[in-house]
Amino acid sequence: MYVGIDAGASATKAVIVNKDGEIVSYAIVPSGINFKASSEGALTKALKLSDLSLEGLLYTVSTGYGRALVNAKSTSSEIICISRGIHKLFPLVRTIIDVGGQDSKAIRIAEDGRVLDFVMNDKCAAGTGRFLEVMSNILEKPIEELSKLHFKSSKPIKISSTCTVFAESEVISQISQGSEIEDVIAGLHEAVAERIYNMSSRIRFEKDVALTGGVAKNQGFVDALSKKIKLTPTLPEEPQIICAYGAALAAIKRHQEGVG
Amino acid sequence: MSLQKERSSVLQTTRKINELIMGHFSRAWDVKTQSKPIAWITVFTPVELLYALDVYPISPEHFGAMCSARGLVLDYLEQAEMGGYSENLCSYSRCGLGYTISGMNGLMPPPDILITFRNSCDVYVKWWQSLHAHLGTPLFLGEAPYVLTGADLGNYVLDYVVKQLEQLIKVIEEKFGLKFDMEKLVQTVKLSDKSSDLWLETLKLRRSKPCPLGGRDSASDIFPLVVMQGTDESVKFYEALFKEVKEKVDKKEGVIENERFRLLFDGIWLWHALDLIKYFEDKGAVFVYEPYSEAWAYRLDASKPLESIARKILAMGLNLDIDLRIESFLDSIKEFQVDAAVLFSNRSCKSWSAPQLVTADILSKEFNIPYLLFEADMADPRQYSEAQIKNRIDAFLEVLGEA
Repeated sequence: MYVGIDAGASATKAVIVNKDGEIVSYAIVPSGINFKASSEGALTKALKLSDLSLEGLLYTVSTGYGRALVNAKSTSSEIICISRGIHKLFPLVRTIIDVGGQDSKAIRIAEDGRVLDFVMNDKCAAGTGRFLEVMSNILEKPIEELSKLHFKSSKPIKISSTCTVFAESEVISQISQGSEIEDVIAGLHEAVAERIYNMSSRIRFEKDVALTGGVAKNQGFVDALSKKIKLTPTLPEEPQIICAYGAALAAIKRHQEGVG
Repeated sequence: MSLQKERSSVLQTTRKINELIMGHFSRAWDVKTQSKPIAWITVFTPVELLYALDVYPISPEHFGAMCSARGLVLDYLEQAEMGGYSENLCSYSRCGLGYTISGMNGLMPPPDILITFRNSCDVYVKWWQSLHAHLGTPLFLGEAPYVLTGADLGNYVLDYVVKQLEQLIKVIEEKFGLKFDMEKLVQTVKLSDKSSDLWLETLKLRRSKPCPLGGRDSASDIFPLVVMQGTDESVKFYEALFKEVKEKVDKKEGVIENERFRLLFDGIWLWHALDLIKYFEDKGAVFVYEPYSEAWAYRLDASKPLESIARKILAMGLNLDIDLRIESFLDSIKEFQVDAAVLFSNRSCKSWSAPQLVTADILSKEFNIPYLLFEADMADPRQYSEAQIKNRIDAFLEVLGEA
């Protein structure tokens, strides 16, 4: 068996695959501040789910912000891992939008899965999961509820600030002026979607488009982005583990090639 | 490995830079005690002319870069911000203003005259006017029009700058009771030209594979060209540098053993994060060409000294029409066998950052040169996110490796 571990800014993901690249089990745990602990936690959980032990693992590749802190044979960048993961699952995809906790990315890939071009957000948090986390705190609504409330909105409010800190005060003033919370939430989803659309437009946008990363689990955001890009993106069953899955696929390849 | 070590230069000659810079500043204080005039200048104000007039030039921009590289910049930035200057202003200007507001008790002696030639940078004039407002020191504002075609380097545009140089000479003569001596200017122009010639020849040696001189050296090696143009010391430095680099080429010694990628760096360096250059090198990527390093050298004609330095003020890269600039860029890509480009979008320098996407588009579409663009600030470490930038570098180099 082979393992990919994605130590991301918000969550750490471990995926175990067999030699054919089929997912055997996976686990997602919060990253906290200790990537070593979170990666061990995620792996232990994934092993338990598949009734495997450490001895059965042939090769581990780590990726994500904390990749250097994970106990793995080698590392790979998220861009390559996401592309590998998506290409294996959806060979027709040419553009991937990944929205994670701290980063968002748009990647264009070739027919054979090679990366042709990519862009990432600038260092600002707007357009990432962090933005929505901050807002969910202010609105005192858990992230899971944002999606439900989004679909109750009839007239989303336009959030004009792209800065997280400014948007925070904008949201507070909207609420204090009596705006409906669902309209504010839908407005926030639109703001993130717009930000990501602007960033992604710097690469050539080709069909099919896939959406990955933790934020892709928020149906409200997916709805806002689909409207913005005028396409229905391909959504993996569990969009949050694609990067770790790609790392696991890299582990198979590197083990065969005798890397590390 | 300590941070100091990560930043350290590769070449023996570069290690002498520190001594040269410190010598430059300590001499400034000597000059001050001898009651000779000190000029605070913006870069590309002709130091050749000032040395010839016996006016000692100090560059607050150079000072800003140096403070940032040594971890001393935050105090000055904060002083400026406490004084009401916005964090969104150029970090060099904030550093210089903070230094001024806090009493000028460091490396730069207070100025006797403030001189600027606005060429590429719109901040210069307002920055120098602000310094003038704080200090009351005499102010000379020169202006170099934007160069639209190569002809502007020889027509009325050039005449206009020459006239201003003549005016500057007159102002200095009258204010400080000094006498301009054309012979002295011819000498400094000759020395300046010699330094530029040597540096340009040294840069050409970077076309070799493996590249003998990388970013860790070029980032430091430019300083004699910034403030010491027209001095013997500067010439000696570039003679030694050329010799050392040439030897490396002859021995086929490169900055890194295993040269996987040859990179172009577009922008001013991130002075507070120079260790990034080593980060690239550890992954097999070496910087072989930077428009920034080249920008400091300009060949001068000692038979037409004033015209020559006027042309130098005008021809500064960012003051050129974008097509003229891109032309030289593209030639270099071929000559230096560049595989990919790293573009630093600098929050402080809008004139540098604004046209970067145009350049990037040409690079990728016409030359199939992939690029990495990231945002930070040249001198303000607070505008820099190390983990995020390293993450992008990793991804970029990994993708390059797969191509």
